[in-house]
Amino acid sequence: MLRAARSCPQCGSSSVVQDDLYAESQLVCQDCGSVVSEGLLVTDTGAGTADVRYSHSTAVSKVPCRNLIKGLQRVRALCRILRLSYDVEELAEVYFRKAYTHASFIRVTLAKKEALVGCCVLVSCRLRNWPLALGTISGLVETDPALVGGVFKELEKVLDVEVPKSSITDVLEAHSREYKLSSAHVPEELAETSADLAKRAVALVELATDSWIVTGRHPVPVMMAAIFISWQSLRPTKTRLRYSLTKFCRLSHMPPNKTAVQRVGEMREVLCRLGQEIPWLSVGAGGGAGGGAPDDVALHVEDILQHRHALLREALRTHEASQKAEEASQGAEEEEEESRGTEGESRGTEGESRGTEGESPGAQEDRQGTQEETQGNGIQPSTVDPPPRAPGHQPDGTDPPPEPCTLEAVNGDPEEGGVETQGTQEQRPAVHWGKRVLFAPPCARHAKVCRTDASRWAEVNGDEEISDSEIDSYIRRPQEVRDYLQTEQQLLAATEDQEYSGMK
Amino acid sequence: MDSGNEDALDIIITNVVATFRTRCHLNLRLIALEGVNVIYKPEVGKVLMKLRKPKITASIWSSGKIICTGATSEDESKVGARRLARTLQKLGFRVRFSDYKVVNVLAVCSMPFSIRLIDFTKKNRPIASYEPELHPAATYRIKQIKATVQVFSTGSITVTGPNVQTVATAVEQIYPLLFECQKPLVPRK
Repeated sequence: MLRAARSCPQCGSSSVVQDDLYAESQLVCQDCGSVVSEGLLVTDTGAGTADVRYSHSTAVSKVPCRNLIKGLQRVRALCRILRLSYDVEELAEVYFRKAYTHASFIRVTLAKKEALVGCCVLVSCRLRNWPLALGTISGLVETDPALVGGVFKELEKVLDVEVPKSSITDVLEAHSREYKLSSAHVPEELAETSADLAKRAVALVELATDSWIVTGRHPVPVMMAAIFISWQSLRPTKTRLRYSLTKFCRLSHMPPNKTAVQRVGEMREVLCRLGQEIPWLSVGAGGGAGGGAPDDVALHVEDILQHRHALLREALRTHEASQKAEEASQGAEEEEEESRGTEGESRGTEGESRGTEGESPGAQEDRQGTQEETQGNGIQPSTVDPPPRAPGHQPDGTDPPPEPCTLEAVNGDPEEGGVETQGTQEQRPAVHWGKRVLFAPPCARHAKVCRTDASRWAEVNGDEEISDSEIDSYIRRPQEVRDYLQTEQQLLAATEDQEYSGMK
Repeated sequence: MDSGNEDALDIIITNVVATFRTRCHLNLRLIALEGVNVIYKPEVGKVLMKLRKPKITASIWSSGKIICTGATSEDESKVGARRLARTLQKLGFRVRFSDYKVVNVLAVCSMPFSIRLIDFTKKNRPIASYEPELHPAATYRIKQIKATVQVFSTGSITVTGPNVQTVATAVEQIYPLLFECQKPLVPRK
């Protein structure tokens, strides 16, 4: 189509025609061939494309984040591996979707997102009472258990759900299936079914819970110890009894655990203590250890577990009775001393002149034991014979040494009664509470040692004068500084020489 | 914390963390050179200075901010901080002791009974949390006074709070809850 509107700037010719290049409209000079003008590349005017982003214009629908999709796939895969029911799987997916978009989890490392997958599965299992341990999850997602734990706690806050705790007895059954002790894997003599093992181990763990072995402890060593003892006791042959825990772990293809050895010892101790209460055993008490040595206890585990409630009650009763007897004998001793104290007061001067050999720090406790001796020797013998020394006098149970004590404290003291009652109260806390009860957490058996010396700085008020004498010792003298710098330079030079010679 | 009880509980403060500013720039290299009791950490950008009396470790930054840890009472911490400021003065810096604040106090207390942690957690949900696979103690956070108590089955508790008064209040608040969970389980009949 000819257009006579323009003239070519190159040659001045007026024969400029429209010669479109595909969709681009162009005006071309017919004589010299130069392009006079070009149009837009697109034919539409571009009314709707002014301020719209490319991603908005080309996006058909919002595509979910790639990691979210992968995460959901991982959740489903984990649920299939663990053979969880469909509602647990659904719940886990819902939680993952909710948690993934939360601020705490949207911009974190991939390892943390992997841990989040595991934790969502764990939370949904716990809510549906499906026993699953944190250790299992961290093993499956192959992430550090500490990281998984941290993510789990954060997830609880984010989802705002109350996650019930999993009980050790629930997890025990699943754990027992990991032990390869069926007749296909081990000789017939050593084989046991996981059902039998689990049943006995559950009873053992319940007993351990009652006797403070489980609280606060990691569940895996406790479960391992329970399964080991139940394996030994289900068929206590000589072969089985000779197996140590490490050997047992090798046999059943389980990783060894040092803590489990301690738990085995603690459980056996509890079983021994209960074994002492069994009437048909204590008659012919074996091994000279009063009811069975810890190693022989495997023979009687079945009986102990069957009657554990009754045995626990008996043991507690016996313990209470022995404690009452102790207190009664202590009380009788105190009455003795009171009566002697009143006698002694009347002979006050006589006693004072006699007893001046320095009082030892523990004399208050020794006093009760040695008083009879000294009074028996020095003053007229009392009408009542001295009662036998009570066993609970000193924390370690040894007899107090027969030191001579000052009698002035005893005889010349007008507040005799007050001192005596003080003495008993001082004696009772001397025995740590952990030793007084029959069952206590093993760490609580001994009194804690106070390591801080608070009395040192008791008089400090924070605003005292700071003396310079100590501070001067913290500052190097100028000569020392010069020597230090010199040595540093020499060492630097020496290392450079070494490197240089090494390079050669 | 007697409440009429003869056996009073001993709350032992094991650590007090305090911060203060020197209001001047500090040359860490100079401190490392002229100080005997210092450890220089150039990769982190701080110097650790240890005092013998009171036994305190201080982290010193070049901006003049100093964090003191290791004291066993608030007053001891203040004396230690002032001693530290005086040491820096003697090293030649124009130090002004300002903005002293106790930031954290850690205390330990021992109950004379064992505590059933699972019961304690059940009774105090959701304030208490207990995961035996992660940590042997149950954690109890008191939001109002910003204190955290860790309860162990042996009866020991560790309390962390912004000052000593908070710690004492936290122990008072938690004692009745622990007392409830202390009785040994009666064997099932």
